[in-house]
Amino acid sequence: MKFNVLLTGVGGEGVLLASAILARAANIEGYEVHGIQLHGLAQRGGSIPTYVRFGDKGGIYSPIIPRGGADLIIGLETIEAARSCYFADKKKTNFLIDTYTVVPVYANLSGVKYPSEKEVEKMIAPFAKSITIVDASRLTKEKLGSALYGNAMAFGVAIGKGLLPLKRKSLENAMAETIPRDMEKNLQAFKMGLEFRG
Amino acid sequence: MSNPDTMDVLQKAGKKVVLLGNEAVVRGALEAGMGFSASYPGTPSSEIGITLAAIADKAGFYCEWSTNEKTAFEACVGAAYCGVRALTAMKHFGMNVALDSILPVVYTGVKGGLVLVIADDPGGFSSAQSEQDVRYALRMGNLPTIEPSNAQECIEFTKLAFEISEKYETPVVLRTTTFVNHCLGSVKLGAMKKPRTQGRFEKNYERYYNIRPAIQKMHRAVLERLERIEKECAGKLNRVEGSAGGKKKVGIVAGGVCYEHVKELGLKDVKIAKIGMSYPISREFVVKFLKGLDEAIVVEELEPIIENFVKQVAKDVNLGLKVHGKDILPRVGEFSPDLIYERIAPVLGLKKKDWKEQEKLLAGIKIPPRKPVLCQGCPHRSTFYAVKKTLGENFVWAGDIGCYILGIYEPFKMQDFVISMGAGAGIAHGICKVSGQKPVVFMGDGTFFHAGMPAIANLVYNDSRPLLVIMDNGITAMTGHQPHAGMGKRAGGKDAPSIKIEEVLKGFGIKNIAIVNSFNQKQVQETVKEFAKKDELAVIISRGGCRLLAKREARRSGKDFPVFEIDQAKCTKCGECVMHFACPAILKKDNGTFMINPDLCWGCSVCGQICPARAIRAKVKTV
Repeated sequence: MKFNVLLTGVGGEGVLLASAILARAANIEGYEVHGIQLHGLAQRGGSIPTYVRFGDKGGIYSPIIPRGGADLIIGLETIEAARSCYFADKKKTNFLIDTYTVVPVYANLSGVKYPSEKEVEKMIAPFAKSITIVDASRLTKEKLGSALYGNAMAFGVAIGKGLLPLKRKSLENAMAETIPRDMEKNLQAFKMGLEFRG
Repeated sequence: MSNPDTMDVLQKAGKKVVLLGNEAVVRGALEAGMGFSASYPGTPSSEIGITLAAIADKAGFYCEWSTNEKTAFEACVGAAYCGVRALTAMKHFGMNVALDSILPVVYTGVKGGLVLVIADDPGGFSSAQSEQDVRYALRMGNLPTIEPSNAQECIEFTKLAFEISEKYETPVVLRTTTFVNHCLGSVKLGAMKKPRTQGRFEKNYERYYNIRPAIQKMHRAVLERLERIEKECAGKLNRVEGSAGGKKKVGIVAGGVCYEHVKELGLKDVKIAKIGMSYPISREFVVKFLKGLDEAIVVEELEPIIENFVKQVAKDVNLGLKVHGKDILPRVGEFSPDLIYERIAPVLGLKKKDWKEQEKLLAGIKIPPRKPVLCQGCPHRSTFYAVKKTLGENFVWAGDIGCYILGIYEPFKMQDFVISMGAGAGIAHGICKVSGQKPVVFMGDGTFFHAGMPAIANLVYNDSRPLLVIMDNGITAMTGHQPHAGMGKRAGGKDAPSIKIEEVLKGFGIKNIAIVNSFNQKQVQETVKEFAKKDELAVIISRGGCRLLAKREARRSGKDFPVFEIDQAKCTKCGECVMHFACPAILKKDNGTFMINPDLCWGCSVCGQICPARAIRAKVKTV
């Protein structure tokens, strides 16, 4: 067993915390974990791709996901999922995308348009075994008061739809051990994700 | 700050947890009984100091953020001279700053273990300036160097570094690279040792007087010590795996994360030498490894350092032996298993993978770039905007290191060069002397204390007259908000004296000093206009707290925080807020209208001040 998750988003969204939760959940289940949390120059607003690889002992060495080797790409920001297609392959990669968008300052300055949700889906399709799109940040903002709970909801969707081979309980425990506050609302968001149909 | 009670780095022996490479280094130090640590933040090494500061009280060792890497290293030397195990962590450029002291300490040696963690950054993920490989400098200094490959080894090698350091009485370097210090990895924790935090300096003429006539004797001792380390340790930190089969016998030599990349490829019939100690490298180990091989490939990022050594040795083993390295692998950028496979496949007689189809598809992905940016609400953005608005484009923008380095990007482009901490002022001085141009020097508060002061003293002493803008956001922000000497706080949040930048400048004899509020455009612009005309050195301290911290504080205390919105009836769609102020919270929509994303706005109010139509106003919102 060997599973590669590429979890990506924009600085400030809680991407590093989310990848730490994922790594912890895999550890709880006894898997060996390897991965990367890169930190860019800026405190906010940069691309934050993180890799979490887990599996049986001795099966994984490099912290880097092989090209075309991602089993699951979680895009906590829409175009960041598209930016990760180098690691995707139609035969194996499932995409889970939150519709949360942060238009880069340079989209305005460079004139490269921020694509619509439909356009992103079209770009990703040749790389995807499946694409799940969920308004996680928007829904959690409406129901729970903050878009930050969108990450917990995305995990819920991943578990609920069987995109992530980890147990619900492991994710819940990993969240409880990692998230500094608002656990109640994160669990609610996680549940919203588990119940998501779409 | 994280709660030390729940931190994995402090969990019990025997537990299996996932740690970041840098956290694993800290755990290794705890298992080695380290009693003293001092660092200056620098990514990709920053989490070492951050973690140490968070747990120091609970774990019972001394921890500080020093004013720069040199003072940090020296503090650790003092502790190690007294017999206390000490650790300092720095990024590659940090080593350059400390090198002046590092080299002679190799001569005096140490009593307590002294470990320097030095983080290189192939690919430049976390740093600008250059892709330097510190291993050259470590050879210049005869510094034993070990390189972990993964998180577990970050623990084990840190412990080993302390042991080697104390046994041979030499500082030891634990060199990491970005994919090691920022790797996530499963680790099994060992037992922590109670730190010894107190010692005593014993005078010792023989040992510490590195001046003629002793200097040559000491140099000889350093070299003999290296020989002993090579004989007794270097082999133990290296190992051979697999065996070379097939028609052509090929061996691969790799250390650090490159070893993990090579293992990931699952190559058959290839012998692998894992190099754990990259200086000194065991000659005997390499000779033994090379025997019987037809070809060897050295896989290392950046410079051909192990490769050059292997090539030297190879001649003695078998003149026909072909050693590959930088002839097939790049000297630039970070490696991945894919890249390594692509480059070594021909040597191994393997077929390259065909990515043509994927390449074609990747070309179809058209999305805007996401370069690093100043945060929304950043006081630096306001200062950059005000300076440019007032002075136009005809000034030399002298840059420096800190969040304000991001002023190098569009639309500001207000760092004409970025060399090193404090170099903005240093280089501006030379420009003043020969060009008749007037540079504007941007310097952050952290840089001021790190290396800015000597450069400013030189401006005064040798009479240069640039406009110096000190961008004081009250903290070392870029590396994750570490305290500095001007803050009144030290590591772990304890109270400390606060050194006032303006008082230092007055002490230098600078007459023109103005303190302005970064978020007050009118005040900053008027002061810039007035001070740029001065025919003397003039300093504007643009003071405005890091908005990210203010926002966090507001969130924690549940207090009201303003967010701004655009009155569409008044907005003339001139685009000033996006094209010239470039706040990430402001968006130009497809229909040509502008809006402020309320989730991103941190209420700095500056867009409201710069809007020519006065179309932006505040509304109070709880965040």
